[in-house]
Amino acid sequence: MKTVFQFLKPYRRLCVFTILAMLLDVAGGLLVPRLTADMINIGVKTGNMEYIIEKGIAMLAVTILAGAGALIGSWLCADLSAKLGRDMRNAVYEKSLTFSEHDFSRFGTGSMITRTLNDINIIQQSVVWCIQMVLPVPAVCVMGVAMAFAVDTMMGFLLIGVTVLIIVLALVVTRRASQIFGRLQQLLDRMNVVLRENLTGVRVIRAFRKEKDEEKRMRKSFEDYAETSISANLLFAGLESTAFFVINICIVAILWLGGDRIGAGYMEIGDITALTEYSILILFYIIMAQMVIILLPRARVCIRRIQEVLETEPEICDRMKSAGEISPSAYAEDIVVKFDHVSFRFPDADEYALSDLDFICRRGETTAVIGGTGCGKSTLARLILRFYDVTDGEVAVNGMDVRDMTQNELRSQISYVPQKAWLFSGTIADNLRYGNEEASEEEMRRILSVAQADFVSGLANGLDAHVAQGGTNYSGGQKQRLSIARALMKKADLYIFDDSFSALDFKTDAALRKALKQEISDAAVLIIAQRINTILNADQIIVLDEGRIAGIGKHEELMEKCSIYREIAKSQMKGGV
Amino acid sequence: MAENETMPYSDDMEIEVPSDAGSTVKRLWKSMGRQRIRLIVVSVSVVFYTILSVAAPVYSAKIVDMLFQEIRAAVSGESVFRVTWDPVGREIMLLLLIYTVTGILYTFQSFLMASFAEKLSLELRTKISRKLDRLPLSFFDSHKPGEVLSRATNDLDKMSEVMQTGLLKLFTAVGMVAGSVIMMFRFHIGLTLVFLVFTVLSMVSTRFFAGRTLRYAARRQQAVSRVTGQVEESYSGRAVIRAFNREDRSARDMREAVEELAETSRKADFMMNAVNPFIRLVNRLGQAAIAVFAGKLLIDGVLSVGVFQAFFQYVYQASEPLTEAAYMINSLQSSIASVERIFQLLDEEEIRPDPRQTAETHGEIPIAKSRSKGDAAEGRVEFSHVRFGYSADKPLMKDICFTAHPGQKIAIVGSTGAGKTTLINLLMRFYEINSGRILLDGRNTADMSYGELRRNFGMVLQDTWLFDGTIAENIAYGKPGASRSEIIEAAKAARADFFIRTLPQGYDTRLNSDAENISAGQRQLLTIARVMLCDPAVLILDEATSSVDTRTEMEIGKAMNELMKGRTSFVIAHRLSTIVDADLILVMQNGDIIEKGDHKGLLRAGGAYAELYNSQYA
Repeated sequence: MKTVFQFLKPYRRLCVFTILAMLLDVAGGLLVPRLTADMINIGVKTGNMEYIIEKGIAMLAVTILAGAGALIGSWLCADLSAKLGRDMRNAVYEKSLTFSEHDFSRFGTGSMITRTLNDINIIQQSVVWCIQMVLPVPAVCVMGVAMAFAVDTMMGFLLIGVTVLIIVLALVVTRRASQIFGRLQQLLDRMNVVLRENLTGVRVIRAFRKEKDEEKRMRKSFEDYAETSISANLLFAGLESTAFFVINICIVAILWLGGDRIGAGYMEIGDITALTEYSILILFYIIMAQMVIILLPRARVCIRRIQEVLETEPEICDRMKSAGEISPSAYAEDIVVKFDHVSFRFPDADEYALSDLDFICRRGETTAVIGGTGCGKSTLARLILRFYDVTDGEVAVNGMDVRDMTQNELRSQISYVPQKAWLFSGTIADNLRYGNEEASEEEMRRILSVAQADFVSGLANGLDAHVAQGGTNYSGGQKQRLSIARALMKKADLYIFDDSFSALDFKTDAALRKALKQEISDAAVLIIAQRINTILNADQIIVLDEGRIAGIGKHEELMEKCSIYREIAKSQMKGGV
Repeated sequence: MAENETMPYSDDMEIEVPSDAGSTVKRLWKSMGRQRIRLIVVSVSVVFYTILSVAAPVYSAKIVDMLFQEIRAAVSGESVFRVTWDPVGREIMLLLLIYTVTGILYTFQSFLMASFAEKLSLELRTKISRKLDRLPLSFFDSHKPGEVLSRATNDLDKMSEVMQTGLLKLFTAVGMVAGSVIMMFRFHIGLTLVFLVFTVLSMVSTRFFAGRTLRYAARRQQAVSRVTGQVEESYSGRAVIRAFNREDRSARDMREAVEELAETSRKADFMMNAVNPFIRLVNRLGQAAIAVFAGKLLIDGVLSVGVFQAFFQYVYQASEPLTEAAYMINSLQSSIASVERIFQLLDEEEIRPDPRQTAETHGEIPIAKSRSKGDAAEGRVEFSHVRFGYSADKPLMKDICFTAHPGQKIAIVGSTGAGKTTLINLLMRFYEINSGRILLDGRNTADMSYGELRRNFGMVLQDTWLFDGTIAENIAYGKPGASRSEIIEAAKAARADFFIRTLPQGYDTRLNSDAENISAGQRQLLTIARVMLCDPAVLILDEATSSVDTRTEMEIGKAMNELMKGRTSFVIAHRLSTIVDADLILVMQNGDIIEKGDHKGLLRAGGAYAELYNSQYA
């Protein structure tokens, strides 16, 4: 709740005006029957047409005022909702940019997307509903009852009685309904999951001859859902029936008791209309509010989910130190990256993913890292980029501990090709400009040819060829080459290729490596690979096994003394002619 | 009603028109079964309910008039009037009786309808789930899961919602409006005409709003797509954004897209919010006019006080449902369109039923048992002049012939689209061949039941399908009775035991579809364990090891080799390293086998295989 109020705070005045506009509408709704009643009273008493016209004009004025209030209220509500949504989305997105990989993975991409889009939608909608349908309720009740008291004390008490009765009823139902609705949502999700599994897993299901079991599983989820839906429907049927019945009793009571009061001269015959309308209006608003309140728990869940994002303290922050405080330790000019007894453990794991890594990457040299899945190769790259922070030891880039500079500074020295070749929607040129905003077309073409991505010139629009989200309109190999080109556009001291050659055939792989050698001569290169061929000629090969360095050296040396390396090599060269 | 709101931006305003409403309704009526009686009872109840609701104001008018006269008489007789049983009290009690009966009828019908729609949906949903079992694989290959999913959830929910409240409301609305207008005409024609003029006015403005709303909603939809795209790609590509120091730029792009969404939403929301107040405004203007006019009639003595009040009650009773009617007709229409789509799904062509649909319910006989009894397949697979095409006139495979002897390892290689997966589809009878025969141990597979046939196969597929359950449950998927030690055994054999143990809940860790709590490679290991446990006669490995690195692949390979002993196995892989020891390599191109033989032989032959091999290991 607090979160929502925080976002509403800048629009306090807007909120107040919205509520005032809404109240105008409510007041109009209550005044019209009052004027009608007056008409009747005067009409039967004096027979004065002027009076009636006077009241008619008053009615017109009230109607237009109330209508204007409602329309303005609608606009203000829409405005408020739009601003709230905008601010929350921006806040969530900007917050997400400060997250480390680990922070982000705690939520997951799918969940973050849902939070940014759907959850905020639901919050927006709930806030609007609250303002439109819940906030006016107390006003309606108070004003309605007050106007009943203005007619006659006894009638006032009658209306209080009815109002309290309906509120109690609504409260009882709301409490039951919230539970049912919560369960209903879960069952709906469950139904969706089970159905989706059946659709996507049809081959597996049939191969394992599980059709009947799956049918049972689906049926169970359907039945649970239907059962809960029915109980929700029954509850509402009960509420509606009771509420209408209460109102009818109230009308009867107004007639009977009102008759007495008119007889005794406390009120007039037209007031019966007014009183009836008041009670109907009160009932209407309370029931509507109740419907909204039932849906609020869902909004509360969404708010909590947004709050989680906003309140997460980014694990990795730029250290606020002035430049003067840190003096780069003495280091050889040609050392770009230095791992100094680095160990790393994911915050929620007991075992170290990387332990005691100690090596150096030099300018002009290629360092390769090889090892099995889950041995920590990609993690190593991410430590250099400071997507994660080391647990022990120190990673230094150009002689400075990566934690002692801003993340911006650090990453401006590095160019990175991620394992998953992700391209952004737009054009090829747009993507290449990620590496260098001011790059000329010639430069782009040159780099594309280095990255063996000459296919671009064969495309209909060349550099302006369309790129779909994620780059899905290009093959895996093309995407990898484009993502390599993007990285080469950036001038850096260190180039990291995280398993970036896997989708390339051997010929392209070889040609690319050759071109790279010429392109990057004065920077350090770090290649993470699974294929031995890719790294055969590296100046230094690091063999990782379960997070430890199992061997370090050139290919020939490793073939000789590192059994794990030999094993990998054998598995890939097996049967070779 | 809540379901409808879960997708705030779904365009429910789009009016869908069913192509053949008549026959769809007829068919829906048929599928209601015994529930039809319930619907008839409700309809009867609705008739009485409407009559009584229309009658009630007449009574209240009578009472007010009576009160008025009695009070006048009492005032002129200098006495104080009190409501007594005779004559007013009796009439009030009569009104109470009418209200009570109306209330009871209302309760009755809403309770009856409370389960009506849900039972109908359940019925149709169950039919869909049964249908899913009988649909050919080609259906699943040509339809997106989301599409089918939306039949079983959104379309049915839409129908159920309309059936639940819409139908009842529509019935009563029609009766209520007709009854009220008739009564109004009986009271005063001129006054009624005033009412009708304003009613037409409010309906016209509804139309106006509806058209506008649609336009703005479409614009917002565009903005939503843009933001959605932006959000998806920014989160998926955040490593790149951060690595290239593009945070500010990305935040700016996002802000722009979000601002556009806010702009369009503001307008679209306003149009939606404003419809009701606007209509209310028009209606109230009408009421003011009626009040003035009626006031004059009251003075002239044409209208009595009671009638004046009753007339207003009719105005309320008639104008509410009228404005709702347009909306309800739209939703009724689109729900019929939904039902039509559901029926379409149910009418899809089905696979050939099992030749032997006997008491043997497939899927419940544990493989292990049947194997140990010695009646299990030896694993001899023979393709004899197989011809197949996804559409009969365009054959993909023209004449496939080969024999896999028990215990052999058969490798299938070829580029994407060469027909490798198709071969497996035919073997498993996911698709039926056009001509020729596929034999398992000399028996024509077309003569076997699906259960009988598939019992002999174990598959590890490219997409690693696991279901929402624990790891242990997933491994035991093909053998529900498996003990924990058997499961662990299988996991160990598949090299999955180690990572499973590192998970917080070990084998009881729940795998859910969205929380990607294990990696792709690990999912692959689980599907391998799943097959290990089943211990089938024939193995099918469809690019199974493609997301596992070479070393892990080798370890799995060791386990697989162990498992493959005495079993026929079909392996599809892009990496030739895994298949050099195959007994038979089938090289496929454009659906046909162009080369057959073992590794050495094929290399010597210097054909397509040799070329492929050399390009990978040059």
